[in-house]
Amino acid sequence: MSQPLSADDRRKEAFERHVVPELDVLLRVATAMTRRLVDAEDLVQDTLLRAYGGIDRFDGASPRAWLLTIMRNAEVNRTRRRRPGLLADPDDAARVAADGGRPEDLVVGETFDAVVADALDRLPTRFRDVVQLVDLEGLTYAEAAAALAIPVGTVMSRLHRARGRIRARLSAAGLVARKGET
Amino acid sequence: MRPWRRTRPRPAADCHEVARVLQAFLDHEVDDLSGARVARHLELCRRCGMEAAVYTEIKASLAGRGMPVDPETLRQLRLFSQQLAASGADPGDGVPPGA
Repeated sequence: MSQPLSADDRRKEAFERHVVPELDVLLRVATAMTRRLVDAEDLVQDTLLRAYGGIDRFDGASPRAWLLTIMRNAEVNRTRRRRPGLLADPDDAARVAADGGRPEDLVVGETFDAVVADALDRLPTRFRDVVQLVDLEGLTYAEAAAALAIPVGTVMSRLHRARGRIRARLSAAGLVARKGET
Repeated sequence: MRPWRRTRPRPAADCHEVARVLQAFLDHEVDDLSGARVARHLELCRRCGMEAAVYTEIKASLAGRGMPVDPETLRQLRLFSQQLAASGADPGDGVPPGA
């Protein structure tokens, strides 16, 4: 007859079942968030500590979204410690609306991939973040929303605008037809 | 008894609807019904079909830029996880194992 699991054993079992399988995704997303491997490793460690501390209260549903939410909160705290006030307003819709499209620079003689890469680098951070999480790291809209602490609808609108800007640069480079010319 | 049943073709979406949901469609984030309507429209409408092709190519280009996970960092994090789970420490203390 088996002994009932102790609290420590239950915690360990839940941690290994829900958290450890997501390490790869956590490192990818942390790298996209911090853009530095050493910072990404620190952020994932911070996330793991917080997850371990909260595993008793986790209901087992959507572990990736739960972990990405923890990671986002950890990153906000880390950034506040380094640069107070920087993330005071991470989802300022007014700024997004006012940003508009800057005049597209004419890009000549570049390859499709090079123009896409350059356009990605030129995107405002809030747009680039969703592209990196969805297109580069393969997260779903819901997972990206959890990671960025924004509504799914905001993920969708930022993706729409971000890809539209990339498309506009490709048009300016003569690599794709301008919208409506097809 | 009817020898065959005529199925009603699924109506295609219009250009406006496709423009609104194209990104979500390409990301497989629309329901089956909407997806079928969009797919049907893209077969019929050259302009929207070309737009979908452009964004598909953009997505493929972006996907190719995903950085591979550093295997050594991942190994270190797995080790950290094992130590954390094995420590049996008070989960609220916030102190990494070995720190």
